[in-house]
Amino acid sequence: MGTEAGGAIGRLTEALGKLPGIGPKTAERLTHYLLAASRVEVFALADALRAIKENIRRCNQCCNLTEGELCSLCADPRRDASVICVVEQPRDLAALERSASYRGLYHVLHGRLAPLENVGPEQLTTSQLSRRVQGGTVKEVIMATNPTLEGDGTALYLSSLLAPTGVRITRLARGLPSGSVLEFANSQMLADALEGRRAF
Amino acid sequence: MATEKAQALVLRTTDWSETSRIATLWTREFGKVRVLAKGGRRLKSAFENALDLLTLCSIVLIRKSSGGLDLLTEAQVVQRFPRLGTHLPSLYGAYYVAELLDAWTEENDPHPGLFDLAVETLRGLGGAIQEAEPVRSGLRVMRFEMQLLCELGYCPVLEGCAGCGTARNEGAPGPALFSVAAGGLVCPACQPVQRDRQALSPAGLRALEALAQPGEAWRLAGRDDPAVDAEVRRLLGQYVTYLQGRRPRLLSYLESVDENGTGPKRERG
Repeated sequence: MGTEAGGAIGRLTEALGKLPGIGPKTAERLTHYLLAASRVEVFALADALRAIKENIRRCNQCCNLTEGELCSLCADPRRDASVICVVEQPRDLAALERSASYRGLYHVLHGRLAPLENVGPEQLTTSQLSRRVQGGTVKEVIMATNPTLEGDGTALYLSSLLAPTGVRITRLARGLPSGSVLEFANSQMLADALEGRRAF
Repeated sequence: MATEKAQALVLRTTDWSETSRIATLWTREFGKVRVLAKGGRRLKSAFENALDLLTLCSIVLIRKSSGGLDLLTEAQVVQRFPRLGTHLPSLYGAYYVAELLDAWTEENDPHPGLFDLAVETLRGLGGAIQEAEPVRSGLRVMRFEMQLLCELGYCPVLEGCAGCGTARNEGAPGPALFSVAAGGLVCPACQPVQRDRQALSPAGLRALEALAQPGEAWRLAGRDDPAVDAEVRRLLGQYVTYLQGRRPRLLSYLESVDENGTGPKRERG
């Protein structure tokens, strides 16, 4: 029987069930969808899965995920190489790129400093960032870590690490989202907005 | 399954699913609790941003009698400690407070006094308002550490010999000797038995005594002498490591920064 624990269907259901947000029933539905799909469609999915493990690597410069030596952003001569925006994860980089308002380069840490979870600087790409900044072309480093205690702590650690280089270190503003109303903003948002107010 | 209210400090959070989160909370009313916060990862949830690490919050939870996770239904921020994000020694000190609370306390074993002291320590380390007489972050953390040991019954013996109980001879020449295995000072007669004994300077001993006392005497411990701070830090670290059976993770972080927070003394790793 194909649905035996060790059979092909059982193995696929078990593998799909390990993905985030997918429970046993959804895994079973997906398995049966794939069984019913065309060979071309299923083999394309299998090839794509294989390719991300065989071809994807970290960019030599910014540690973003890429298929070449350099990612498309680092290889683009139109980007401003004097500004580096530091993010925790590649998906944070993608979110900033969607804003289409930043023309500098990035650096992906692949995590945040979380000593309580045993994640220290050595697990992040801090030494690569330090080398990039010491290279001399960088004038500003923007800390775009998440606005949590661990995100702020990571930014604080990095700013201490980079301080001797004399480079300008900034961080993203925080406060009220555009289009919201004060009445429904929480106290932290309002406190951040007041603290980060600026002149007209 | 009754609904309960409590004051809580967030010690740890783990993502559970696309939208939910598991949190370890240190509450004033119930001690340590582990809760499931359904929807806790969503921006708009009943928890707002209260489930960030080391946030003091007011919570509503449904207790489970079966030993499973309690269910968190509401959480509101009471206080954050914003200066933690601007001073590395304070940040690492606050992380250390969280690590000690998580490692040394049990579920359903409340210690209201220790909860209040933890909040007071975090306010001192990272509260928004600067104190008139600021205290070194390292000293504040050692005060919490010593008081936690005393509250849980592990206060080091400083008034006499931890081995035989003989009263301390105040006039004895030379430094006192401290043994982490014995749990305090050791007298000359007991010294041969305690191989881990180490010298403790008179100033270091006075600092330890001040940290163990209730009240405000601890604020003068060490009197801004970095050497005494370092001696007491090392000794307390060894004592906690011995009792805990492993070295707390944050000790190496605390040692990696200087008190003025100018930055990492060295690249870790």
